[in-house]
Amino acid sequence: MRILRTVVQMIFLGGAVALLAKGLAGVVPANHNCEAYCPFGGIAALFPLVKYKAYTCRLTELNMSLMISALILTIATKKSFCGWICPLGTLHDWLRKLGSRIFGRAFYVPREADRWLVSLRYVVLVLVLGLTWTVWGGDLGFRAYDPFYIIFTWGGHGTLAFSVYIAIAVVAVALFVPFFWCRYLCPMGAVLDPFSRAGGLRIRRNTDSCTDCGKCDRACPHRIPISQVDEVTARDCTNCLECMVECPEKGALELSCYGK
Amino acid sequence: MKKALIIPAAIAVLILVAFVTVNAYRVPTLHLPILEGDARPATVRTVEYVVDGVRCRGTSMGFARMASQGGGVVSVTTYARTRSAIVEYDPTVTDPDQIREAFMAPVVRDGVTYQFFNMLSQTERD
Ligand code: SF4
Ligand code: SF4
Repeated sequence: MRILRTVVQMIFLGGAVALLAKGLAGVVPANHNCEAYCPFGGIAALFPLVKYKAYTCRLTELNMSLMISALILTIATKKSFCGWICPLGTLHDWLRKLGSRIFGRAFYVPREADRWLVSLRYVVLVLVLGLTWTVWGGDLGFRAYDPFYIIFTWGGHGTLAFSVYIAIAVVAVALFVPFFWCRYLCPMGAVLDPFSRAGGLRIRRNTDSCTDCGKCDRACPHRIPISQVDEVTARDCTNCLECMVECPEKGALELSCYGK
Repeated sequence: MKKALIIPAAIAVLILVAFVTVNAYRVPTLHLPILEGDARPATVRTVEYVVDGVRCRGTSMGFARMASQGGGVVSVTTYARTRSAIVEYDPTVTDPDQIREAFMAPVVRDGVTYQFFNMLSQTERD
């Protein structure tokens, strides 16, 4: 399962890196960068699309189509977009593993603070959309602060002198605090949250086989208390399947698809 | 275990659907009427260009400005994803070659010469 996910992650990360390399080499048009494939662009495009019947800035129907696909994927498989597709999520996943190797542990934010901090991503979402549709006049001003765009365009059009420091900070923090950006700041994660709660493909715990050893809880990079529930409904579950891989009891954790 | 395959399968299908349906709701990046109402000529012809440089709403505005500078342009509609620009024009005033020359004209700013737009193809519609 791990190999399967890693292969899928590598395909998408490889695609983003290939676009970056092509952009740097100047062999693709300037608008053909990672932004063209970003489903969050579909959210940013919504308001101008309804009001002015036109796309804003560099957004196109491809952003809309990919946004709709990402939402359907989330309704079907929870936040597997984050755990399997998003190149920034993959980067965080690998940095988390590297950090654990280097420091021998992860530095999680204390649970009480974490409970408050997770709401920050909704603030970021409201700010980004609000500013795009008002102050930035339809321009994608978030580019200057968005580590996905900054990293995978290597400081492309619309980034500012300090943008690179934001990307460096996000990468550095991800070594210590697993999924720092994804968990606390990512507006795309905030958009997916309600759809993820309804997600059909879930981890289910078989209480007859489970020995309550807690290995799944320790394996979950999103600190979901799997051993205390019958079914993982948490919005943050990315279906990374790490809990299933680490569970020593055969059949204690299974994937269920709409209860089957 | 087998159910884990649902995830990559769903990803593949949904991405495929996204790329297949992408033309289902084509909406322009810019639609700029220039000669409207009484000013709109009786006979209007259309030419479609694919233009390197039409990347977004801002560059589309620049394109419309340059393409229409010689007069006779009725409207400009652009699609950033395909870099296409559909120009309606008055055939008694201008023609596709003059419009192309107008948007491909070099621009001098602070002593530096730029060419913002480069035509990749030109198709007359009617
Ligand atoms: S790792 Fe497996 S056996 Fe241990 S608590 Fe989790 S589900 Fe139960
Ligand atoms: S470890 Fe299990 S519960 Fe945690 S995010 Fe991954 S699949 Fe979901």
